[in-house]
Amino acid sequence: MAIITISRGSYSRGKEVAEAVAARLGYECISRDVLLDASKRFNIPEVKLIRAIHDAPTLLQRMGHDRSAYMAYIRSALTWRVREDNVVYHGLAGHILLQGVSHVLKVRIIADIENRAAAEAAREGISLKKARELLVKDDEERRRWSHSLYGKDPWDSHLYDLILHVKKLRTEDAVEFICQAANLPQFHATEASRQKLEDLALACRIKAAILDVDKDADITCEYGNLIVYSQAGERAVRQLEKRAAALLGEIPAINNLEVHEGKAPAGAGA
Amino acid sequence: MQPLTTEMILVILMIGVAVFLFVVEWVRVDVVAILMMVALPLLHLVSPKEAFVGLSSNAVISIIAVIIIGAGLDKTGVINRMVAPIIRLAGNSSSRVIIFISLAVAGISSFMQNIGAAALFLPAIQRISKRLKIPLSQLLMPIGFSAILGGTITLVGCSPLILLNDLLVPFNLEPFGLFDVTPIGLALVASGIACFILFGRFILPRGGGADKDADQSTEEVEPLLASGKMVELHTPADFTHYREPVLVEDLRRRYLINTLSITEPPDYKVISPPLDTEIRSDIDLLVHGRLEDVHRMAEHENMQIKETLQVFQAEFNQERGGMVEAVVAPRSALEGKTLRAANLQDRFRVTPLAVYRKGQTYRADIGDIPLTVGDAVLLYGSWNRLSTLQAEKIFLFTTPVDTEQMRPEKAVFAGFWLVLALTMVMGFKIQLSVSLMTGALGMIITRVLSIDEAYQSVDWRTIFLLAGLIPLGIATEKTGTAAWIANAVLQTIGTVQPIVLLTVIGILSTVFTLVISNVGATVLLVPLVVNMALAAHTDPRMAALVVGLATSNSFILPTHQVNALYMGPGGYRSIDFMKSGMVISVLFIIVMILMIQLIYGA
Repeated sequence: MAIITISRGSYSRGKEVAEAVAARLGYECISRDVLLDASKRFNIPEVKLIRAIHDAPTLLQRMGHDRSAYMAYIRSALTWRVREDNVVYHGLAGHILLQGVSHVLKVRIIADIENRAAAEAAREGISLKKARELLVKDDEERRRWSHSLYGKDPWDSHLYDLILHVKKLRTEDAVEFICQAANLPQFHATEASRQKLEDLALACRIKAAILDVDKDADITCEYGNLIVYSQAGERAVRQLEKRAAALLGEIPAINNLEVHEGKAPAGAGA
Repeated sequence: MQPLTTEMILVILMIGVAVFLFVVEWVRVDVVAILMMVALPLLHLVSPKEAFVGLSSNAVISIIAVIIIGAGLDKTGVINRMVAPIIRLAGNSSSRVIIFISLAVAGISSFMQNIGAAALFLPAIQRISKRLKIPLSQLLMPIGFSAILGGTITLVGCSPLILLNDLLVPFNLEPFGLFDVTPIGLALVASGIACFILFGRFILPRGGGADKDADQSTEEVEPLLASGKMVELHTPADFTHYREPVLVEDLRRRYLINTLSITEPPDYKVISPPLDTEIRSDIDLLVHGRLEDVHRMAEHENMQIKETLQVFQAEFNQERGGMVEAVVAPRSALEGKTLRAANLQDRFRVTPLAVYRKGQTYRADIGDIPLTVGDAVLLYGSWNRLSTLQAEKIFLFTTPVDTEQMRPEKAVFAGFWLVLALTMVMGFKIQLSVSLMTGALGMIITRVLSIDEAYQSVDWRTIFLLAGLIPLGIATEKTGTAAWIANAVLQTIGTVQPIVLLTVIGILSTVFTLVISNVGATVLLVPLVVNMALAAHTDPRMAALVVGLATSNSFILPTHQVNALYMGPGGYRSIDFMKSGMVISVLFIIVMILMIQLIYGA
């Protein structure tokens, strides 16, 4: 039926809401499992992936490409996981990693800093002041992370379909709103939107497979017809062509895979 | 040594600017030349008259006339008629094919533009390759190099040699005759062909490219034509029920299937339908694509595949239309553009099916691939529409589509005017430009080609390149810059034997021609080497001749038009040219210097 992504700051009851929504709708609830998937499939220590998806990059990291490579692995794992629909994902950046797919309901849960600080202080056994400082720092990290990788501010309301402020709303109220939205026809998967998600998953999978040759390659996929756009020079293109020939044989979902030298058309590309 | 003056510094600066712009290609080469035509008089390095003297120079007029004569010969099919007997003589042996066709191409190239000779034989070479199962990569490079070498056989064979006599005038040196270079040119052609015959298996790529396996050779013979099949399908009566409209474009995007023709009730057929044409119920369509994609489409879209062509049999039997492989021509308006920008579908109603470049066949999103010279595009359309496209001269068609517009009845006239022009030069010692232009005029008057066709055939980029660089050569000589540089170089290298000096000049010319155009290299180097030769007591005419010949020594990189043209169909990569080109380039210099020693005793 739908894919629901729930973005939230820490201690905003987002996880609680996500699990309740999943239980109510009979959906699978995933978060950290995606990182475990990516870690296993691409042989990357989970802690590195957690840092990639959580911490804002340092100056040195911004100069390197490791972070974007890890995000590619995570995205590949996530898109492959949610292909079956009926999933609630409450990890980081779901609204960004799954953008372009029409049957994804993007929800953001926000809460007052004071309520969040109180929850953290109670849980961690620290002072309110300390809890507040940690939350502010954490929010700022996530903001910088989102900016550095995708140029987007996670607080930008345009990124979401539904924003819920859990001050007066209880958890059950939030769950009710989300379930009603998920049942709207515009968030039902159609043949076209499923195909789009399949294509996105395939593109992300290929991206992860060619990262070692060209980290900046763009990949478009339409009905299983993939094009890898590379600006890394003739030698890299030749290597990508060899890699593409191998992948064609390995992944049955690929109908065609070509490597084109140059830039992807504007707005296209995984 | 004369001190460096301000004028010399300015000339050196202008040379530097020209070379830099040639290398980085921020602007086209002819624009650089026009820049020189304008900048030099503004800097008072040449007079305004001298700045534009290039446009009326003998070299430029000769080149215009040679191009028109070549176009006239092409129009009458005179050259085409030579192809069949040459192929018969060549027989079935790969070596004989290379020898005979290389000699033929070299011969034609000696009085026609190299690229014209190379383009003329391309379709025939591809047919021979297919018939005799010889990989195209084994044939195209030797023949292409022969086309370039053939330009050294006569003084009208290539632009640098045509330019040579004009550049000798300021030095009051005796001009060269039309066939003065012939022994050297023939030796170069013979040695080039011999090198490929004897050592081809070491220096040519195996089966179509540096890394290809030999058993792919059959597919590479016709890579584009083998990229798919034509299949006829039928849509059921309920095809459009309960579904979104399916367009021609959708079939392309989803299945990489091109719709070549479609029926519209009651019995009308549309060839190359526009992309937004809807696929209706109970109609027939002729498509092109890989069989597995056709089957996938038929399954998903609930279409019925027919075992044979029925409704579209006439179209497939080439009475009305068919598929052709078209190569992006050198200096084509399509160079750097995409097929989408060129809008072939709307402008000419022909369907691009696939693109072939450097050993790879592209079928997806071919509309967004920026095209380069030598790229082969598989096109489908009616013959009328393909003829219209051919007339635009943006493609070289590997199969003729334009037989109705040839004028074989004018072949005698075309031959007559060519022979007359050559007789005027050789027999009556009439100026080359006057003789050639007489021949060109004769072709126009006898309607071998019209005056408009003559204008269209002239490559104005080459004309302005020549005309614009001539004043730079004048400035180099007039200001004493050439003499200054020559003396500086000689002081650096010291006293050397004439043969060593000529060899160094040959190597210098080879390097320069790879970096800037052959014309640019000739214009810049001739004044310089003449001064060097005079200072070193070596024959200055020989030094100039070495430049005129060695600027054709362009084999290491695929920058020469002929190499760029053959690169795509041959499936070559830059490394292939470097390997073979290095051997041929070294051989070229050795043979050239030896022949000059032998004939002129320089």
